[in-house]
Amino acid sequence: MKADYPNINDRIPDGKKPDGGNYRVLIVDDSMFVTKQLTQILVSEEYEVLGSAENGVQALEKYKELYPNVDLVTMDITMPKMDGIECLKKIIEFDKNARVVMISAIGKQDLVKESLLIGAKNYIVKPLNRAKVLERIKAVLK
Amino acid sequence: MRIEYINPFVDASTEILSEVLNMEVKREELFLKEDSSSILGLGVIIGVTGSVSGRVLIDMGIETATAIAGKMNNETISELNDLAKATITELANMIVGRAITKLHHLGFDFHISTPTILTGNNVEVTTLQIEAISVPLTLPMGKVEVNIAVKEIDT
Repeated sequence: MKADYPNINDRIPDGKKPDGGNYRVLIVDDSMFVTKQLTQILVSEEYEVLGSAENGVQALEKYKELYPNVDLVTMDITMPKMDGIECLKKIIEFDKNARVVMISAIGKQDLVKESLLIGAKNYIVKPLNRAKVLERIKAVLK
Repeated sequence: MRIEYINPFVDASTEILSEVLNMEVKREELFLKEDSSSILGLGVIIGVTGSVSGRVLIDMGIETATAIAGKMNNETISELNDLAKATITELANMIVGRAITKLHHLGFDFHISTPTILTGNNVEVTTLQIEAISVPLTLPMGKVEVNIAVKEIDT
């Protein structure tokens, strides 16, 4: 007789909320390559990518438009029109509970510190590594 | 140009290319580049400011660029389309980002601009009154040149 036990290998994907819904993410980066790479990483863990923005101005507009349905923002720093630091400040002004993870090719300590002091929840230095991205994002959403 | 400025770019280029392509990168001898020279087919220019002024040019042939872009995207890319250009631009961004992080650890304050991409066989880049040093890197898919031209700002 076969017992009907749950499979111990069944794992709940990182992108699933305890209520069964999906965590929703807004990607902000001026690079089509990074947006594609991040989307693939996040979707593989069942996060829902709500959309993307190519600069800070567009990102702020999208955040306000999607609010309060954004669980997390990934934010590049060096971007045209409005950079990621300025955009982070404006998002935090609008929503002090916003969860923003900075993703940049620059890992200078003062930039990391400044981002965290403004209100970023974490900071990832490129190149992106799937495991590193998922681990940092999961920690922020816990 | 101070040698302390060059080594971080050389190291960052080798490290980033090895990390993203997962293959061996061979560094050739550095050489002084003429004030004015044509790009190899695709070049990404990133402006550098802060305690210096100048620019970094990441230069390669079109075939090398499409092969690198294909490998980084894990798909076949046979022409220099928007995704290929975005991929090489991001590669340049990562190299220069890593280099200025290293420079910061050495006590130098460098900032970078958003990258500009140049394509074509007869595109000439001129850097007036700034010595340019080129770092040739050999990969299985071709050659990449990292060309650095920065000078200290007179205070």
